[in-house]
Amino acid sequence: MKQAKKNDVIVTQGVTKVYAADGIPVNALAEIDLTIRSGEFTALMGPSGSGKTTFLNIISGLDAPTKGKVWLSGRVLSDMSGNELSDFRRDNIGFIFQAYNLIPVLTVEENVEYIMLLQRVPKAERHERVTAMLEAVGLQGFADRNPTQLSGGQQQRVAIARAMVSEPAIILADEPTANLDSKTGAELLAMMNSLNLETGVTFVFSTHDPMVMESARRLITLRDGQIDTDETKYSG
Amino acid sequence: MVLKIAFRNIFRQKRRTILTALAMIVGFTLSSVFIGWSDGAYGDIIAMFTRNRIGHIQVHSDGYLDKPSLYKTISDYSAVGEVIQTIPGVEAWTPRVFGAGLGSVGEKSTTVQIIGVDVARETETTQFDKKVIEGRILGDTFSHDIVIGKGLAKTLSATLGSEMVLFSQGADGSIANDVYTIVGILESGDDASDRVTCYLNLEDAQELLVLEGRIHEIVLTVSKISQVPKITKAIENRLNDSTLHVAPWQEVAKSFYRAMQADKQGDAIGRIVIMLIVAIGVLNTVLMSVLERTREYGVLKAVGTKPTQIFRLVLCEVAIISVGSICVGALLGVLANYLLSIYGITLPEEFTYGGVKFQTMYAEVNARSLIIPAITVLFSAMVVGLFPAIKAARIMPAKAMRTH
Ligand SMILES: Nc1ncnc2c1ncn2[C@@H]1O[C@H](COP(=O)(O)OP(=O)(O)OP(=O)(O)O)[C@@H](O)[C@H]1O
Ligand SMILES: [Mg+2]
Repeated sequence: MKQAKKNDVIVTQGVTKVYAADGIPVNALAEIDLTIRSGEFTALMGPSGSGKTTFLNIISGLDAPTKGKVWLSGRVLSDMSGNELSDFRRDNIGFIFQAYNLIPVLTVEENVEYIMLLQRVPKAERHERVTAMLEAVGLQGFADRNPTQLSGGQQQRVAIARAMVSEPAIILADEPTANLDSKTGAELLAMMNSLNLETGVTFVFSTHDPMVMESARRLITLRDGQIDTDETKYSG
Repeated sequence: MVLKIAFRNIFRQKRRTILTALAMIVGFTLSSVFIGWSDGAYGDIIAMFTRNRIGHIQVHSDGYLDKPSLYKTISDYSAVGEVIQTIPGVEAWTPRVFGAGLGSVGEKSTTVQIIGVDVARETETTQFDKKVIEGRILGDTFSHDIVIGKGLAKTLSATLGSEMVLFSQGADGSIANDVYTIVGILESGDDASDRVTCYLNLEDAQELLVLEGRIHEIVLTVSKISQVPKITKAIENRLNDSTLHVAPWQEVAKSFYRAMQADKQGDAIGRIVIMLIVAIGVLNTVLMSVLERTREYGVLKAVGTKPTQIFRLVLCEVAIISVGSICVGALLGVLANYLLSIYGITLPEEFTYGGVKFQTMYAEVNARSLIIPAITVLFSAMVVGLFPAIKAARIMPAKAMRTH
């Protein structure tokens, strides 16, 4: 058995996912062995249905693999109970989804501070960190807006702020730019890239966008649930 | 935070909230009026039944109530009466003597129940004077006047001024008989009793039955019927006499009381109907809102919200709507019961309950008519809310994210 090294934030071993839709088994992932090290900025590419979302769900513990093991920051996900997993996600993983990331009844500030509230971070500190984070994503002055009063790109920036504010080890993003025009998408990626360089937080995101390849420093391509290519552009 | 999100969700989905609340408000108000009205009606029936007839509390010689007998008497009744009168809450008391016999007017005779009353006290306690619908009430001591029930007058074809002969047995074993003049005809509201009862002056009755200063029953009324149990206890303690038995009206009129309790079970049916209204309203709307917000719960869970916290969030929303609805329902319920307590509802035909005639029924504003519906609404809303809450708590974020 492979031993996770200290620097390896995400390690998968033989991860396989079989969906049984209408009785017909679908092999969404087949025997994925992958190691992602701390501070990497990794893009998951691949055609539709190649298993990107499934893979992200499994490495975040949102979904369980049919077979195989996942280590996250040295811990085996399948060994954790439901509540442990909730707490683990809260403290270690930031999420950015394709769309509808935000809780509509909460303001921008409340959305961003939500996780810190779950962590019982004191109010003054929460406010300070939210303010700094909103500034970092260029949304100063938007704290009291409702999500519905923001553009799609602004909403995704709030989602980034929410994912980053609690300083998790890993940020997972499933097609974060899919609902944005290419210019806004590029801006968002540039922002993620610079946050990655500044803070060293590990980013893993899936995308269809060829432009994203430019910014990614590691590019993994999936095909039919298997790793097709895995290239690191330059070592960071 | 849970509270904040819950509150805002409630205001976000206004239409749904209003629908849910409406079901609860309607349920609450119906239940409140139902209880207020039935309590009011039963309260009126009890008040009339007790005040005009059996009184609120009775004192007998021990064992009399179970097996009445001419010989089970209270001898120093004035002393007992004086003690009773000193107890706070007691309004008035009156002594009674009972005997059975044969009554004849002219050719006709029938069995009669003889009741000897202290006219002044009986009037004060049970409004004896108001029940005499023809003629006058009995004269003072040893008048040899007799007042007979309406039905009895009919049976005997008796009219005012007729002579009536009573035959009975004295407490000393002698045959007793005497002649009295009918001075009044009485209607008590209980037709069955009016067909056999005749009333004598206490002294006349004691003389006929050879009881010499002794009586069978002391009837007393209190100012607040709700205090009957307390006052019963107080009298028992004050008299401190094991040969005397103090009984509240519930014991005196056992079958009447039981029938009334049984009728009150009707409340339960009303409560089930209300539970159903609330349950269907809540289940429908809350379930819909949970299904609609599957993605939202998915996001909340993905970022680390525990299932129990989601569960609490949904129940919290239901609880907030319930409490709000209960407040509105309470206002409506009190208003409706208040109006019904003033104007009442007049039935097209009068009806008789326990020998008491009724036509207009009034509601009552009381705590029961608020507390019971409040518990009912809250309980059924929370129970029904459990289902959508569990559903929301169980949402799988991975699946929820795929539903667009
Ligand atoms: N809940 C499910 N039940 C059955 N099959 C599923 C389920 N989720 C995904 N699949 C199947 O698993 C395979 C991988 O799906 P996945 O969503 O991971 O692909 P993807 O790479 O994210 O695609 P896209 O680029 O379109 O988002 C697909 O064939 C899909 O049909
Ligand atoms: Mg996908």
